[in-house]
Amino acid sequence: MRWVWFHKLGSPKYFYFWSKPLALPLFFLGCLCLVVGLVWGLAFAPADYQQGNSFRIIYIHVPVAMLAQSCYFALGVAGFVYLVWQMKIAPIFIKSMAPIGAVMALIALVSGAIWGKPTWGTWWIWDARLTSVLVLFLLYMGIIALQNALDDLVLANKATAVVSVVGLINLPIIKYSVVWWNTLHQGATFTLMEKPAMPAAMWIPLLICVVGLYCFVASLVLWRMQSEIMQREHRSSWVKQEVMYNNGF
Amino acid sequence: MTYTSFLRSELLVLWRRKQDVVNAVLFFILVVALFPIGVNSSPEFLSPASGGIIWCAAVLAILMSIEGAFKDDYLDGSLEQLVVSGLSLPLLMLLKVVALWASVVIPLLLVMPLLSEMLSLPSAAFWVLIMTLLVGTPCLFFIGIIGSALTASLKQSAMLVMLLILPFYFPVIIFATSAVHAAQVGLPYSGLLAILLAMSLLSLVVSPFMTAIAIKASVN
Repeated sequence: MRWVWFHKLGSPKYFYFWSKPLALPLFFLGCLCLVVGLVWGLAFAPADYQQGNSFRIIYIHVPVAMLAQSCYFALGVAGFVYLVWQMKIAPIFIKSMAPIGAVMALIALVSGAIWGKPTWGTWWIWDARLTSVLVLFLLYMGIIALQNALDDLVLANKATAVVSVVGLINLPIIKYSVVWWNTLHQGATFTLMEKPAMPAAMWIPLLICVVGLYCFVASLVLWRMQSEIMQREHRSSWVKQEVMYNNGF
Repeated sequence: MTYTSFLRSELLVLWRRKQDVVNAVLFFILVVALFPIGVNSSPEFLSPASGGIIWCAAVLAILMSIEGAFKDDYLDGSLEQLVVSGLSLPLLMLLKVVALWASVVIPLLLVMPLLSEMLSLPSAAFWVLIMTLLVGTPCLFFIGIIGSALTASLKQSAMLVMLLILPFYFPVIIFATSAVHAAQVGLPYSGLLAILLAMSLLSLVVSPFMTAIAIKASVN
């Protein structure tokens, strides 16, 4: 197998032109899936026999919580790629992804609190899942703070990559430490191998929401990366040409 | 420069700055004192909470003393000397952590009998607390030194290091206080100590390399 395509993606210029036509279709696909999934889930899916209509927040909570974890995994992989292969695109990805991940973790926390009030009777408890998502949010904020504090670009690249990798190693430890410490949250909604425990009319819209949010976030990341590439490479001639072309010169 | 001369000079620097070590210990005692004053001073509250209070205070004291570990070295240029010395930078970082650990944790352990009396910690749990500190604090130092190395070039970084590093300390605090608590109620605790040791060993493997990368990026 040839890896040329993969190495090419490490170059900002190639990545910019490769990703440019991808972002908009992904954005529309994501929006479409989210609208379909949310309307289906919120208005047409059957109510839960125990939780009634309050369970419907699952159509926001679960996709967002999945994204919050996936984003951190992606950050860790990007950090590893940067530290090992010094690919220029990896720190750009980390910088673009961290705020999105932070927002996802925050929405997961807030929607979980709103869900917890009618079902558990409390906004917040020191439960395993809740605590580990809180830690995840704090890790994101730490990376963002570090990125903003360091003016030197090379140092900022290295620093965020190091923290991402250390976080990747530590995240399972944090997760299992709080799981053994305290647990109330229900188990995973989706697992790869097993059929979901709820009826199809409930989980199909949820799956559509999850896919939609993945596409949505991917398009946002691509856009943020494109503008970050433009900023970092503003001295190169291809960026000048691109800006001229976009402005109709 | 050799590894032994580096270790000796590090220890000498720490010894000549005894005030820093005294400050760390005083800070530790003050944070511990906040809990009886601020929350509840009855032995019924303090006795089950004492392990957690001591660990939280120790974490803060360690983070405060580790945060500026590279500041002076960065400013006077000796950090660059380490990078160009031809010695293995990860190994030097390991020695640095060993020296720092000895200078902060040994004084903390020395005041521990006093504090355990102040917090009415049951004597059965005292030695378990000492064990958790011995086994768990290396992990705190190994993780903290990465944050310190990343922010070596910044003037004001204490808050940033706290924000960056404290989330990584959660598992250590959880397992350490669980071990103390288990000892208090008579449950087996050796498994929890083993997990603490495992986390310290894992960070021992990862941290020196990450710190070396961060140092090299900082002195550029």
